[in-house]
Amino acid sequence: MQEVRRREGASAGSGRASGLRGILRNQAISMLAILIIMWVVLAILSPYFFTVDNLFEITLQTAVIAMIGAGMTFVIISGGIDLSVGSVFACSAVLGGLVFTSTRSLTLALLATAVAGALFGAANGLLITILRVPPFIGTLGMMGIARGLALIFVNGVPIYGLERYKFIGQGKLFNVIPVPTVIILVVFALAFVVLNYTRFGRFTYAIGSNAEASRLSGIKVRRVQIGIYVICGLVTGLASTVEAGRLAIVQPAGGNGYELLAIGAVIIGGASTFGGEGSIVATLIGAIIVTTIRNGLNILGVNAFWQYVVNGLVIIGAVAADQFRRRR
Amino acid sequence: MMKKLLRMSKITKSFYGVRVLDGVDFDLDAGEVHVLLGENGAGKSTLMKILSGAYTLDSGSITLMGKELDPGTHDPRSAEDAGIVSVYQNFHLVPHLSVAENLSLGRFTRTRGFISWKAVQAHAEEVLARASFDIDPKARVQGLSVSKKQMLEIAVALSKNAKVLIMDEPTAALSRAETAILFRTIAEVKAKGIGIIYISHKLEEVRQVGDRITVLRDGLAVQTLPARDSDVNLIIRLMIGKGVSRTRVERDRTRGESCFSAEGLRNRNLPSPLSFSVEKGEILGITGLVGAGKTELARALFGVDLLTGGTLALFGKPVRVDSPAEAVRLGIGYLSEDKDAFGLCLNLGVKENVSLVSLARQRGLFFSIPAERRVATDLVASIGLKIAGVSQQVKYLSGGNKQKVVFGKWLTAKCRVLILDEPTIGIDVGARGEIYSLIRDFAGGGDRAVLFISSDMDEILELSDRILVMTEGRVVAELDPRKTTKEELMQHSTRVNRGDG
Repeated sequence: MQEVRRREGASAGSGRASGLRGILRNQAISMLAILIIMWVVLAILSPYFFTVDNLFEITLQTAVIAMIGAGMTFVIISGGIDLSVGSVFACSAVLGGLVFTSTRSLTLALLATAVAGALFGAANGLLITILRVPPFIGTLGMMGIARGLALIFVNGVPIYGLERYKFIGQGKLFNVIPVPTVIILVVFALAFVVLNYTRFGRFTYAIGSNAEASRLSGIKVRRVQIGIYVICGLVTGLASTVEAGRLAIVQPAGGNGYELLAIGAVIIGGASTFGGEGSIVATLIGAIIVTTIRNGLNILGVNAFWQYVVNGLVIIGAVAADQFRRRR
Repeated sequence: MMKKLLRMSKITKSFYGVRVLDGVDFDLDAGEVHVLLGENGAGKSTLMKILSGAYTLDSGSITLMGKELDPGTHDPRSAEDAGIVSVYQNFHLVPHLSVAENLSLGRFTRTRGFISWKAVQAHAEEVLARASFDIDPKARVQGLSVSKKQMLEIAVALSKNAKVLIMDEPTAALSRAETAILFRTIAEVKAKGIGIIYISHKLEEVRQVGDRITVLRDGLAVQTLPARDSDVNLIIRLMIGKGVSRTRVERDRTRGESCFSAEGLRNRNLPSPLSFSVEKGEILGITGLVGAGKTELARALFGVDLLTGGTLALFGKPVRVDSPAEAVRLGIGYLSEDKDAFGLCLNLGVKENVSLVSLARQRGLFFSIPAERRVATDLVASIGLKIAGVSQQVKYLSGGNKQKVVFGKWLTAKCRVLILDEPTIGIDVGARGEIYSLIRDFAGGGDRAVLFISSDMDEILELSDRILVMTEGRVVAELDPRKTTKEELMQHSTRVNRGDG
């Protein structure tokens, strides 16, 4: 009797979810379906939507958000949040721009941007693990600090004349494939491997699922958490070089509101704000959805200010849907 | 004859076909302290949860002041309205608010929509004075001592016009002086004609504070007797019954070599230096009642709570365990009684949970996913896990299977010392037997040892090679399970520390 009940319990469980990989794939597939529906609707509404130009435009717009989203995926899977990405984006770009104007070396400039992003990430990680400031507050504070520093370093004035950055943002490999597309593919391939095939990636899931159980299993939780925020800062810095390349300038006020878009991409992709769930592929789809919404609203001639409203609504809707799924 | 304040008659309750309460009669007079005694699982909590409306009874009746309560509408709220109030540890209190605010919580006196702080203060003073409790109404609850908080809990209960107070292990967290204060409070409450149902394991204390004692065993009310001049040994015999024939499995074991030892351990939870040693192949049972310091010892050994003194040695070599990561590196494993909170990543799969410790002990960037699956699949077969597949999320597993997953993660990591803290709590009888054989097999497998912590004295006697009894953070007895009895274990455990009183 008891035996029978137990077996029923087991099969009911498997019916709902056959393991980690299974759920993520399902989530990604349903998001992909939503994305395709959006594209069809937009194509019907505007003949311009499905032109080659516009599709390239979407990839370019996606690149920045998707890269930050890749870093944010680690943070959110681990049960944290990083609100500082928009400001870190601006500040690391400004630091790189300053290095470029003084050395004229693109390599040094890119290196400086990446290092600056990683250092901001490390600072976030230390705040959260050593000073035990909750991630929401710690990165909120860092959001202010990084933005302020960005403005201070250049006195609030954009850095112009970054023509040599253009290759990163506008170049084409073999005259066909846009460089940003290549960069996203590389970043996402790396992130996918790290998240799914390395100990670090597994610990990221474990910490998000149950940090205390992870610690009691011998995982050095703080070390992993610091690493996660470093990754997020690093890719944020890299993303800022793509945008600088597209515009050939660096703005201390840039990246404003990107945290909303990046978090949106991750959440829409189906990562749980409770941690322990999420996938890098889903984030990519989420980033394309976020960008498609922006692009679609543009094409349809909707006032740009409405984009913030729509983004906010979409994030709230995605989390509400997650909560609803959980309650059942 | 006086009318009974409360009468519960023929109370029966089953969970999943298992009868937990079988026609239990229990009554309470006004101004009486009626003690409920019994082993873990005897049915005390279930009976009290039925009374306080958390569970619905299958059959039987509850009569409060001559009026039968309708089982259909009896829930926690209606129970409180009727005057049945439980005093939990700080359960009703909001720590950030003041005593006065807590006393008015949910029923603030308002004038024109605004809270009248004057009235709130006056209400608190009145309630505290009526109960003659010495608590400052302006004090913040979080700054109060444990016993003051408990008084406040009682005051809150009284302000709700309680007729019946349920106190479950009220002295578990109290010092001797605080216990004395609680007993004075109880006397004052009794004098107001309120009946108290008092649950505790501490037999001497129970005889001191109680009027009558009812012993529950296996869902039956075995006997009710006057508290004051009852014989402790008789009570223990009533609690444990005839003594079920134990199925001890003697294992072959070569004695002698030390596997894991501790010398003079102390920290903030273990006030007096504590020493022990486990030999290779040995299962060292550690028992004691709730609050005896068993979990605190486990956490200290595993590097969760830091030591302030003492030394540890593994296979004769001194080791420092200053973090769980270091413990794991040394090959020490820890299985907590709360597997969901401390043992498992619930939304990860079985194989991800099973491999976690091994991954933490490994080095290098990558790990082998095929190997992970293979190890998990082999483990599932060898420990008899009943699951749909190794990718199944552990949150859908039964308690027994969850515990086996936690066990499995230490087995696959090849740890050498396993600290098991109440490994069978919340696990059904069938799965229990399987956990026992896992523990025996582990201990028998070479250079390994087990610290087996449990308050279930039957399983301690069944499994251990040697038994330590703890009370109040110290080891009070070391016993040979072949030569001791449950009575003896219970006597050691329930002995209030006489050493420094």
